[in-house]
Amino acid sequence: MVIEKRTEFELDYKFDPVRSRHYLNGVCTVLHCHHYATLYTQLADVATDFKGKELLNNAAEDTFYEVLNSYFMQYQIEKPEEKVTIAEQYWQTVGMGLIRFTGIGKYAATAEMDYSHLDEGWLKKWGSRDRPVNFITAGFVAAVAALVNNKPTQSFYVLETKGLVCGDDVSAFKAVLK
Amino acid sequence: MAIDRKKIIEEMSKVKVIGNDQGLIPVFGVYVQQLPGDFWNGFAQRIVNSVPTDLIEDAEGLLVNASHECGYHTGYGIITSDEWKKIVGPMIEKEPEDILEGAFAVFTAWGWAKSEIVEIVPKEKIVVRAYDYYESDIVFYGNNTRPCAYMIQGVCGAFMDIAYGDKPYPDGMNTFKCVQTKGIELGDDYGEFIVTRV
Repeated sequence: MVIEKRTEFELDYKFDPVRSRHYLNGVCTVLHCHHYATLYTQLADVATDFKGKELLNNAAEDTFYEVLNSYFMQYQIEKPEEKVTIAEQYWQTVGMGLIRFTGIGKYAATAEMDYSHLDEGWLKKWGSRDRPVNFITAGFVAAVAALVNNKPTQSFYVLETKGLVCGDDVSAFKAVLK
Repeated sequence: MAIDRKKIIEEMSKVKVIGNDQGLIPVFGVYVQQLPGDFWNGFAQRIVNSVPTDLIEDAEGLLVNASHECGYHTGYGIITSDEWKKIVGPMIEKEPEDILEGAFAVFTAWGWAKSEIVEIVPKEKIVVRAYDYYESDIVFYGNNTRPCAYMIQGVCGAFMDIAYGDKPYPDGMNTFKCVQTKGIELGDDYGEFIVTRV
């Protein structure tokens, strides 16, 4: 029986004492709590006149596309399954939850989360609600779908179809080619 | 023993936070995540640049408020944590002033901003300077037209709420407000933040 080696996310974590900054694989990162993330999410949600959800979604897609693409280039990761595995581990490492991509093709991609920072944070802060809250993760899913297809950002539109915050068993995402 | 900033930064910057089996990081009574500074800047700037001129201050106020709440709850979690008690606790002689100084050392250690209190009027006011902070990274050349360290503004106000709020935690939020008077993004050598009572 051949056991396939799982691609492991390499974690290079540094603190620069001169600038007092943290770097995760060369990218300046910052710790923030669920209050911050959910309040930003709420702000995006209520700013309907200014397409707030889209702005938060785009900020996430642009950032995580760049982060993952740099990583893939640095470690010469080209296979779709390797890209997906690394993306899942990255999301887990940075504390955003446990995401599992269940399928990625040319025209669509699906993913599910059993645990989610935003859902847990929202539930802890405000309790349940009838609409999903993972606008940031939706941007992340769009970035991964594009990277696996070797396409640029803004290639996929992502809809969150289920939400832990709504009482569903998972938070689920469907990305569709624009 | 007085507050030893260097030691606090050295020790607290070593605290590694990585997602557990559920991909979550439950510490200091909150869930935290570790995302690129560019992401937070990216949304803040998009929203501020999207609203009409007469709503910019309101949008900025909401961004500051998000940070204020974050700083209030996480800040309280930090100063009641085991790590704090072990590293900073023995240095505290005068409360709450030493706690405030220690909190800004932790603020620095966690990469929010290389910052320190340069003036303190107990119960009334602090002046904070930040010599390096990720929110100023939005400018590559020249200056920004408005100060944009919303996160630092919020956290500065929150720390004063914890120290001198009209009511003790968790009911003392928004006793203080912060105004940013200088910014690296504005071409100044450092960011300056003045916190006074509302």
